[in-house]
Amino acid sequence: MNGYAGKILSVNLTNHTVSELPTRDYTNWGGGHGMGSKLFWDLVDRSRLGTMRAFDPDNVVTIMTSPLSGTLAPGCAARTEVQGIGAQAYPYEWFTRSGFGGRFSAMLKYAGWDGIVLQGASEEPVWIDIRNDTVAIRPCAELSLWGTDIKQCQQIIWKYVMGGADTGNWFGAGSGRTTQLPAVLAIGPAGENLSRAACLIHDAANSSGQGGFGAVWGSKKLKAISVIGTGSIHVYDPRALLQARIEQVRQYGYHYDKPVSKSIPNNFQSPPGQAVVWEIIPFFATRGGKRPAACIGCHSGCRRRYASGIGNEAVCSEAAFYLDAKSRQFIYQATDLLNRYGINSLEAYYALHYCKDLHAQGILGSGKPIDCPLDFSEYGSLSFIRQFLAMIAYGTDGFGGTSDFGQHISQGIVRAAQAWGRLEEDLATGLLPYPYWGYPIHYDPRAQLEWGYGTILGDRDINEHCIYRLKYLGGGAYFGMQRPPITPGQVVDMVTAKMVPFENDPQMLDFSTDNMYSEHIARLVCWHRFYTRYYKQSLLFCDSRWPDFINPYAPHYEGSTGHIEPLLIGAVTGETMSFRDGITIGKKIWNLDNAIWTLQGRHRNIVQFSDYVYSFPFTTIAKDWLGKQNGQWQYISVNGRQLDRQGFEAFKTLFYSLQGWDTTNGWPTRSTLASLGLQDVADELALYNRLGSE
Amino acid sequence: MEKEYFIPKNHLLCISRRDFVKFSGMMVINASILGRRINELGKEEVTWGFLLVDMKKCQGCISCMLACSLVHHGVENPSLSRIQILQNPYGCWPDDLTIAQCRQCVDPACVAACTVGALAPDPQFGNVTRVDQEKCIGCKRCISACPYTPSRPVWNFEDGYSQKCDLCAHAPHWYWDESGGPEGKKACVEVCPLGAITYTKVVPDQTREDSYSVNLRGLQWARLGYPGWDLPLLDRWLAEKDKGGIR
Repeated sequence: MNGYAGKILSVNLTNHTVSELPTRDYTNWGGGHGMGSKLFWDLVDRSRLGTMRAFDPDNVVTIMTSPLSGTLAPGCAARTEVQGIGAQAYPYEWFTRSGFGGRFSAMLKYAGWDGIVLQGASEEPVWIDIRNDTVAIRPCAELSLWGTDIKQCQQIIWKYVMGGADTGNWFGAGSGRTTQLPAVLAIGPAGENLSRAACLIHDAANSSGQGGFGAVWGSKKLKAISVIGTGSIHVYDPRALLQARIEQVRQYGYHYDKPVSKSIPNNFQSPPGQAVVWEIIPFFATRGGKRPAACIGCHSGCRRRYASGIGNEAVCSEAAFYLDAKSRQFIYQATDLLNRYGINSLEAYYALHYCKDLHAQGILGSGKPIDCPLDFSEYGSLSFIRQFLAMIAYGTDGFGGTSDFGQHISQGIVRAAQAWGRLEEDLATGLLPYPYWGYPIHYDPRAQLEWGYGTILGDRDINEHCIYRLKYLGGGAYFGMQRPPITPGQVVDMVTAKMVPFENDPQMLDFSTDNMYSEHIARLVCWHRFYTRYYKQSLLFCDSRWPDFINPYAPHYEGSTGHIEPLLIGAVTGETMSFRDGITIGKKIWNLDNAIWTLQGRHRNIVQFSDYVYSFPFTTIAKDWLGKQNGQWQYISVNGRQLDRQGFEAFKTLFYSLQGWDTTNGWPTRSTLASLGLQDVADELALYNRLGSE
Repeated sequence: MEKEYFIPKNHLLCISRRDFVKFSGMMVINASILGRRINELGKEEVTWGFLLVDMKKCQGCISCMLACSLVHHGVENPSLSRIQILQNPYGCWPDDLTIAQCRQCVDPACVAACTVGALAPDPQFGNVTRVDQEKCIGCKRCISACPYTPSRPVWNFEDGYSQKCDLCAHAPHWYWDESGGPEGKKACVEVCPLGAITYTKVVPDQTREDSYSVNLRGLQWARLGYPGWDLPLLDRWLAEKDKGGIR
């Protein structure tokens, strides 16, 4: 099985037993999310899905790789996909996903495993020790792991697994040898204490953030998984893989001799290390030496490591978490604290600012209606943020004492607002900017339509920048802060030509207000769901580097997406498939996910944004969305618009219709499922009276 | 709280006393025989070639390792790579990362240690020193003899023989039109996306450990916000400023 290790590790934490599942039973799902969804479907007690919650011992958690993991495929060799019933969403704890980069997925493959399935829950805290084929479930007590932060936990495990061998040298691992540190995925105090803002973190800052899987592991009393592998991943055509790699990076990657811009964030052609927010802003940038830090196989790492060692590998919202600190150094140090506690950065960011806003209104503080032990006069200091993060992680006053406030924010700020009796009001005004499923805003659903619709029609903040990045064209970030030498109309034609099976419908990229509830936008959302479910979440092409739509180094600026993906997959696995085939598999995965949500209680009536999205206009000074005005493609402003409830209802109908689902409730239909080879799923939905009408 | 998050100094990539003594001893030996060996080897028509690296630039993607195992064995396996990148995600630049490439020593201890003549310049492959798999008896003496940590000869535990960097002279899964070897391309150099590995025919100073490290950063690197300079004192001072006293 080229590209695959051939087996999946199944761990029963209740009985402390392990077994193997054959990967070949799941390869038609690609890898990653597809395999994870199918494994979840097969292994979970489906009769209980309507009532099962994240902390239920029967919750099944999958941690999956892809056939490209650990290979030279650029920007798609390092992601790991995590799935299960998540703890973060509110009020419905959907089956959901998260992911992270680094070395873990590659190391798992080298150890001979395509993924891990976790079932049950241990009575005592444990960690899993994987050394090639040898797997042990070990008590945390042996190494005093429970209670450690993420960094401490990893360092203890590294030392233990390496058996006292010198770091920086070869050491024996099972039947082989390696110089590499074991790859450890761990929870910190936040996960142990079941904070719904808890992450899984690997190395310094590779975070599986959304979904609250840190708390799910905590509920299973699982502290960490360590893996060291020395085996080989077989590649179908090594020369073809090298050719695809070399040509792709040389043609479409950053040209040091011909720099277009040093600030291109998160594209295939980005220079290394440019997604660290504090590094982009000169005032905040670290002053000493530094290097880019890349995940395995990546041609252009998005992170950095520093001479101080503080803030290493943090990126994106982690790095922006405390930008209003009083000192530059506190920004990096706060980020380190965040990652050592194991807390979701975006959740912490919005919780912090919500509390700050309530304090400014005289509602929150010592002796205020929401009694809070934080001293806001210290806001911006390191001690303030340390106390705040400790409250989230431990559910205390931040110093080990009991605190109702600490208990509340430990459960995530939406649940805290509910406990304070403020949720309905603050979601109606937007003071609490959580537009969908209890997740904080990322890009506004009133403006970035595919992001908002994709999220509310799914399970979580999608965090997929495929379409969003086209805004950079309007903003000029692709081309040295200049608008590109191609017209918006050319951009639209180039991108929509690749959006199979809805190709060549330019209106799919018309973000103007007249088009926001149209079938064209419904097609865009469909395509985006299918593309990401397969290429990004199953084959694990990194969101920071893919898709490659518009590329300043490419002939006629046309990026490589559409032709490079099948080349890479074929070179590694030997499978002959087209870009369109992948989209079809993505549709199958998306349908299975919807079947799971349907069994959990999904109905179109509950698919609603928070009230403020319908009541208050979105404001912006930007003018960089693609749109058609007066018959001309332009970069337009979407300032001042809000969603219309009737318009959104009509949009849902169009979307469900395009999906082939029952438009009255959003449930999958037998004919659609059957067309995707999912007859058994249709039978199961029928068993529970959840099959949509034709 | 303050104590709980005190960040200890990192010791992961420190050189042990044993390694230092071992390394220093080998440097003395190398220095004493360098001139003699160059003359002798010149007569033997050894083809010189050396991989030089910039450890301050490397991004730790291990693409070089993946390329090495791929061109030589047709598989992806860092443990089979003849170049090794070792890194600590919590470490302090530049000590957070080490590139361990074969130094193609002028007077190689691995060759001297081989009792069966399996390690020798191979005229069939441009006279680069390589392991003849058929002769190798798997004693691992070459691995033990290497004065560097980690040892540059690599134990191929899948097939049971030693292997070392052959500058891609014998790479069965080669892709490029131009061949590998001392006069050709090297997979690690070609694949490195940052250009942090280069190649020279000039013999590096065999008496200095850092003579295989070079600055490959340049002006554009500095423009991207990374240090193009080699000023360790300045780096240290700036790093202390960034620590802000917490450590």
